[in-house]
Amino acid sequence: MAIQGAEQTILRDPALFYWILFPISIVMILTGILRHYATVLMNTTPKSPSTLAESRERLALLRGVNLRNNACSVLDRESFEMRKNYMVTGFRNGAFLKDPNNRGQPPANPMTDPAGMEAMMGMLKGNMMMMIPQTLIMSWINAFFSGFVICINELTDFAVKLPFPLTIRFKSMLQSGVMTRDLDVQWVSSLSWYFLNLMGLQSVFGFILGSDNAASQMAQQMGMANPAAMVNPLQPGQDPDKLYLNEAENLEVMEHFCILDGVEERILQNFAPAGI
Amino acid sequence: MAGPVADIREISGSDLISALHLAQQAPAILGQESGSRVSSSNSSETADYYARLEQLLLACLRTGDDQSAHTCLNRLSLRFGPSNERIMGLRGLYEEATAKDQSALERCLQEYDNTLAQSPVNVPILKRRVALLRSLNRPSDAISGLIQLLDAIPTDAEAWCELADLYQSQGLGSQAIFSLEEALLIAPNSWNIHSRLGEVLYICASGGDASQLLGRSVQHFSRSIELCDDYLRGFYGLTLVSQQIINGDSFHSNPGCPQASTRMLDNDYAGVSGQLPKKTLERLKAFALVKLGEIVESRSMDDQHWASSRSELIAAKELLNRQSNIQAA
Repeated sequence: MAIQGAEQTILRDPALFYWILFPISIVMILTGILRHYATVLMNTTPKSPSTLAESRERLALLRGVNLRNNACSVLDRESFEMRKNYMVTGFRNGAFLKDPNNRGQPPANPMTDPAGMEAMMGMLKGNMMMMIPQTLIMSWINAFFSGFVICINELTDFAVKLPFPLTIRFKSMLQSGVMTRDLDVQWVSSLSWYFLNLMGLQSVFGFILGSDNAASQMAQQMGMANPAAMVNPLQPGQDPDKLYLNEAENLEVMEHFCILDGVEERILQNFAPAGI
Repeated sequence: MAGPVADIREISGSDLISALHLAQQAPAILGQESGSRVSSSNSSETADYYARLEQLLLACLRTGDDQSAHTCLNRLSLRFGPSNERIMGLRGLYEEATAKDQSALERCLQEYDNTLAQSPVNVPILKRRVALLRSLNRPSDAISGLIQLLDAIPTDAEAWCELADLYQSQGLGSQAIFSLEEALLIAPNSWNIHSRLGEVLYICASGGDASQLLGRSVQHFSRSIELCDDYLRGFYGLTLVSQQIINGDSFHSNPGCPQASTRMLDNDYAGVSGQLPKKTLERLKAFALVKLGEIVESRSMDDQHWASSRSELIAAKELLNRQSNIQAA
């Protein structure tokens, strides 16, 4: 434990500050930018349905959800019951399925189904774009900086001292990779500086690359001819029939009420000037 | 650059006057942007630029500036490629707008059919096809095309509204009501659709089951006012409907029409669901008239800003005049 009150000093070369702190930050920013553009490049737009029936299979579910969520603000009892019956029978019969004949059969293996394969590939790519650079940079920092530093002095692994005091809890966060229990928490190791950058550079990227991921947005801007048609609530390998039956059940237990009841009194009370 | 851009943002482009204003800026926008586009690296700005080009294209077509429209279209397809669905839709629109005669339009239709045979879920082309059928005066074909589209994409509020409009034009009121309800299920808080539904209900009420339809109409107008408390069409409709119900009642309770009056008595009038007590209706009407007066007054002052809804304003003034005449008489 560090002696409270007494200032801890470590003999270290002041140049370390410039040769560790800045290189790590710069490398982190550059890889972040590179990763952003690589993601944009490898991004595949979600596959639009190729037939009308396929599109219906995807969107019928959303229609059911819409009915369930919004019926109370639009429909009176009669038209709600009519729609509910239509949707429930449709869901039960499999009328909205792409090919109703295949109903009840186990879904195609996502590994052999080309559409499912593509979606899995997309997910894999996204994950890889995060994983690979991070692993590489981290091992690079670990190997390069700690090895290099230790040659000079056993303890000059520490690159920078924070200008403000911290509680002991931060020790594991700021001094990862260093096994000295007694060191003041204000000292930060190079590996930890990497982690801090990893978490904290998001706003810097936002500043450099524009808000969020503007580049990818623009690439898709025109591709998204009709966002409503592109939405796909079905995950690859999921059986739409099961989701339909589930939704039918949800609809069936739904209790109808209507916020239009008494709306006249409400607006008179809330908006009408006094004396009317 | 900031000046004209800000202006364009405000213009909705849905009415002729603002479309004309926008189209008049076409040379400025097209000339200036071609230079600065390459240098502007900010991606969100270029995204804005293309959205603006699309608006400009539509405005130019409406105002007859086909030359500029063609330039816009070329720039867009240079950026996004001619096989992009939305570009295909815009190109179709351009072809339709510049078509010389009926046969050229038929050719457009043929082309749409060919495109759809290759890619059946090309939504912009599907919609263009419906619009073209409508302008070719084949509403029943347009309706069936639209139904086909909606069967595949039931979550498209715009298409439901168009279908409602088509049904309405064919005099199929209850179908129009159904379609508008579907649109509202997708966008439950859009006061303009609520008000539109109120209008359709009001129009249908001249037919059979009048009192129930009128009651629902009042509800939807009220809801649209609740969602947007200075929506002119909502207040206008509310005035008309409540007027209609009040008049209808006095007509029914008229001893000259015994059949109706007994029916009313049987129903125990105030207790029936959807029926409002007469006092509430009177208050609703008075409230709507007061609000209409306020809106008309404030918008007449600020004439330029409300130029797009001038016709609505005139209609509202007319209604107010009529009401004051009735009261004076």
